[in-house]
Amino acid sequence: MPLLEIRNLVVRYGEIEALRGVTIAVEQGQVVTLLGANGAGKSTTLRAISGLAKPASGDILFDGHSIAGLGPEAIVRLGISHVPEGRRVFPGLSVKENIMLGASNRKVGASQISREADAMFDLFPDIRAFSNALGWTLSGGQLQMVAVARGLMAKPRLLLLDEPSLGLAPVIVQAVFRIISQIRKDTTVLLVEQNARMGLSVADHGFVLETGRIVLGGKPDELWGNEAIAAAYLGGHAKTHA
Amino acid sequence: MDLVLQLLFTGIGIGAVYALVALGFVLIFRATNVVNFAQGEFSMVAAYLMVVFSVDLGWPYWLSFLIALAGMALFGVIFNLGVYYPLRHRTYLPVIIATIGASILLSNSVLAIYGPQPQVLQGWFDTPGIQLGPVYLDSQYLLIIGVTILLVLFNFWFFEKTLLGKKLQATSQDKEMASLLGISVSTMIMITFIYSAVLGGLAGILVAPVLFVSIQMGSTIALKAFAATIIGGFGDVAGAIVGGLALGVIETFGAAYISVPYKDGFAFLVLIAFLVFRPQGIFGERVAEKA
Repeated sequence: MPLLEIRNLVVRYGEIEALRGVTIAVEQGQVVTLLGANGAGKSTTLRAISGLAKPASGDILFDGHSIAGLGPEAIVRLGISHVPEGRRVFPGLSVKENIMLGASNRKVGASQISREADAMFDLFPDIRAFSNALGWTLSGGQLQMVAVARGLMAKPRLLLLDEPSLGLAPVIVQAVFRIISQIRKDTTVLLVEQNARMGLSVADHGFVLETGRIVLGGKPDELWGNEAIAAAYLGGHAKTHA
Repeated sequence: MDLVLQLLFTGIGIGAVYALVALGFVLIFRATNVVNFAQGEFSMVAAYLMVVFSVDLGWPYWLSFLIALAGMALFGVIFNLGVYYPLRHRTYLPVIIATIGASILLSNSVLAIYGPQPQVLQGWFDTPGIQLGPVYLDSQYLLIIGVTILLVLFNFWFFEKTLLGKKLQATSQDKEMASLLGISVSTMIMITFIYSAVLGGLAGILVAPVLFVSIQMGSTIALKAFAATIIGGFGDVAGAIVGGLALGVIETFGAAYISVPYKDGFAFLVLIAFLVFRPQGIFGERVAEKA
């Protein structure tokens, strides 16, 4: 049984149908990457999983149980952590406070959370020195590190990462993806990326979304092998978009 | 010089009341992005609760005080569920109109019960005050200043040192992200309304012996407190406190040296000056809305 299974998911924003029957499965322990152009429905898929967008029809099964229609607070308590587009680090709180709040889905004491947040800096040594800096003072790369660290504090069984490379310099993108390949040892990851080369480099499986539908799915090699798809959605073979 | 010290003391005393109400304004504004136009009525209702328990029922002052504050906490719950919660997914406009409606409803309900004549509430202490050198310290103003200092310290500790305070801050900065982390946004907003109602109520109970207890007392205090939040920098906690104290001092000096009848005018003159020359207030916008 897959850890996450989405069946025929339809999501509407008013009159607009953002997802028109999306079906994907994520197996335990995998990194699965969702690719596609702007507006294809990648972020909407993640928002539906984490409860921010309400499904119009279809179902979302986590560990075999339907979570469609539950609110975000309930879903994160089940073990799905969403690191949304734009990082959304709280600007008026410090790095450490941001990270500590990531544990809000679990019933643990403040001192325990503080210790866990300190331990999180071992995985993200680049932001350790900024522990007391306020969110709004950080650079894009630092914000991304804080956002991922905060997402991991939920001790998720499934981590949803939305465009972690967006707006970052290539060297920072590589640092972020090194972290993703470390995370995957413990956590299943569903990754949304426009940067197809980076996105597929860490993936076990990939899906391509086009205007609210899955048009292709397969192992990274198979996706690269499909000439037409590679040219249209993955930005060509050897070219980097980072 | 003696007069200056005396006026400073009185000004800080009345300014402390504005500061408490302004703090209530700011906390609700930050949590809901809406200005609560019934904030002044929180103070008015609490003062009348004191009249009910302490004067009408003749209960001991401290007991009436505690029950009135507990009543205000309950009032905060009811206000949240009745005025804000049903409209929370709408834009700010329906919510603002609802708070104005609540303000009118509260004033007129109290009017229907107590009539238009003001009520008198005794102060906490039997002694009217103490002479300290050249300055006469009114006991009620001393109490107001003391309680305000304690509350400002408590407020700092609560929001800066506790995890719950951080969750409240996170909710006011980005509700959707807070909910993604498992923070119960509706609980956080409930706590904010309870806290603001108790703050406003405390201000009303403390100032009631200085003023009269009347239906208009809420709107007068709220207008000054609103001016204080703009002078301090809208949405800024420190700004609300500094703005409230500054306004109290300015209007007291204005009344003493320039004109007593224009006492309220000075507060709004300062407000207009700020709106023209420094609309972001003393503390400005220090934190960007979105990173």
